[in-house]
Amino acid sequence: MSAHLVIAVPAKGRLQANAEAFFARAGLELVKPRGARDYRGTIADLAGVEVAYLSAAEIVDLLAQGAVHLGITGEDLVREKVPDAERRVVLVEGLGFGHANVAVAVPQAWIDVHSMADLDDIAIAFRLKHERKMRVATKYVNLTRDFFSRHGVTDYRIVESSGATEAAPAAGTAELIVDITTTGATLAANALKVIDDGVILRSQANLVAARAASWGTAERAIARGVLDRIAAQARARAFREVRTRFARSDGAIITEAKQRFGVETPFGGATSSGMLTLHCPPKHVHELATLLRERGAETVVVADLGYVFSSADSLYAKLEAGLARPR
Amino acid sequence: MTSAGVISTSPVPDARAHALIAAFERAGYARVAPAILQPAEPFLDLSGEDIRKRMYLTSDPQGRELCLRPDLTIPVSCDYLASPAAGKPRGFCYLGPVFRHRGESGGEFLQAGIESFGREDTAAADAEMLALGLDATAHYGLAAPAIRMGDVGLFAALVAALDLAPAWKRRLIKDFNHKTSLAHDLDRLTVGGSNARPEYQGVLAALAGADPKGAHALVTDLLSIAGITAVGGRSVSEIADHFLEQAALGAQASLPRQTRAVIEQFLAIAGDPESAATKLHAFARDANIALKSALELFESRIQRLAARGVALPRIHFSTAFGRGLDYYTGFVFELHDPRAQTDGPLVAGGRYDQLLTRLGSARAISAVGFAVWIERLAARSTP
Repeated sequence: MSAHLVIAVPAKGRLQANAEAFFARAGLELVKPRGARDYRGTIADLAGVEVAYLSAAEIVDLLAQGAVHLGITGEDLVREKVPDAERRVVLVEGLGFGHANVAVAVPQAWIDVHSMADLDDIAIAFRLKHERKMRVATKYVNLTRDFFSRHGVTDYRIVESSGATEAAPAAGTAELIVDITTTGATLAANALKVIDDGVILRSQANLVAARAASWGTAERAIARGVLDRIAAQARARAFREVRTRFARSDGAIITEAKQRFGVETPFGGATSSGMLTLHCPPKHVHELATLLRERGAETVVVADLGYVFSSADSLYAKLEAGLARPR
Repeated sequence: MTSAGVISTSPVPDARAHALIAAFERAGYARVAPAILQPAEPFLDLSGEDIRKRMYLTSDPQGRELCLRPDLTIPVSCDYLASPAAGKPRGFCYLGPVFRHRGESGGEFLQAGIESFGREDTAAADAEMLALGLDATAHYGLAAPAIRMGDVGLFAALVAALDLAPAWKRRLIKDFNHKTSLAHDLDRLTVGGSNARPEYQGVLAALAGADPKGAHALVTDLLSIAGITAVGGRSVSEIADHFLEQAALGAQASLPRQTRAVIEQFLAIAGDPESAATKLHAFARDANIALKSALELFESRIQRLAARGVALPRIHFSTAFGRGLDYYTGFVFELHDPRAQTDGPLVAGGRYDQLLTRLGSARAISAVGFAVWIERLAARSTP
């Protein structure tokens, strides 16, 4: 059997669309040869990769077991579902979508509660008054327990909730909740507010590698190819290519451009004919072009980049380092 | 009863364990064997959510949470409460498996122990537990374990006698119960008031001097004017009360320095019980703090221990020693291997007079007991 690198991708919703767009930007087109309803796919023009479409929660389980090599899933689920996550998975890269905060939220009417210290205080008072502990509705049992423990809050009980957690206080099944929030609108609609120091985790979708998967030479080579394209494209997106020519080339201007605009020089200084190629963050392009012309450049050409491949393949290096960590 | 021919991969009590439990029975404790499968609720409620990650949980078809018992104190207490003897003085002993996640090593191990309910002679019952605990280690060839002793009741008496806001008292008691040493924790202690929003400070300051009844009505009205209805289990009146408590706290937002010094002096008191008693008397006199009844009980317990032949100078008493569970209310003790070959105590126990009330008893029933870690004792004496 030929070597297979299995990549798990969310099977539905915005997360799936975002994940597909993420791969597409890197020139990796996810295709389902047997039709859109299939839960197995491949990457167009890249042999040896199998794409498994699964729920975000399943992806975390399979990563923890090592049943898939790579997966896209939220950091919140990794931290919640994988005890001792560092030993079992490598969080290779935050992907810039699927942002959500896991946070402690209490009823707005609790004008006496702004901090975890306040919460600790009323938790004790609640137990003494009602002879039972305050209930916290959440699906993040482990994150909640660890966070409350760090803040010394002990007088509470967790009520596991798998859906509509934010409705629990109004329904009378819990006093407060720990849940994900993106804009806070759902919380506000349920008369809840986030405690000032109550953000447990700022989560986003991550590219995650399973340490227990079979990482042979062939799997590593394929992963390297995939990660190399992703890294090259991410780098290309972060810069514009700025080219110009000076009659008299001058190292000082490069130093200044680096300091002021975070410019990089992919090919070193100017060539003997005065040609200079710079990579500049998009927001500083105009300022850089102005500076170059002030210093004598006649024409400055700016272009978008497709890929910037570098011999230092940073993402793959991160994967390798993560896999090599002692377990 | 296990027959001699049984092949078992479960931990089996050895002859010494059987001899130990027989000795407990001879001392007047009826042997009980509560169900291994228990409702999870009382453990989570009394021991806190932190125990959840060490418990083996399951559920029945009705969705009720069950667990393999992580200790025997709660099951023995529940069975006693459900029996006709509930409320009467009774003593029980047990020997059997308990279940806790312990990382890589097995989750099933043996505990023996004693629970004594409903006795009025507090000091004598406390002393008897320590004496029987020493018998347990002696059965395994350890005649002189290291003895650590504390008294949660003394700290409670100190806090009750201090001139402090109720929020501070609650916080101090809770933190004492959850830390083996509170002294290091005093630095971090701040209470809600200091964290109140700056924009509230004016209102809080104004309310601080106000007539409590009027201020209470004002806060209640403000909440209803703002259209905020209370959701969850806290009433508007409860919220108003605590809001006003924060106001009253104002200047006392951090522990007053002088009070902190008094607490630190108290927590520094340690040594053998007799010299500790002398120091406690001096402390109470100098700091002008009434510890009278708690101190009387402490001294009476010392006498009872001496009467049972326990060598007092071998006991290391510390006012800062607690057992990390908030159901202990008085005497607490641990017996350790003097050569510290094993992690954790060999025998541990104490008094938990509020446990039975929290398990549903309508009236207070005194309770004291201890557990013996059979494998730790056995491992220690194997060369």
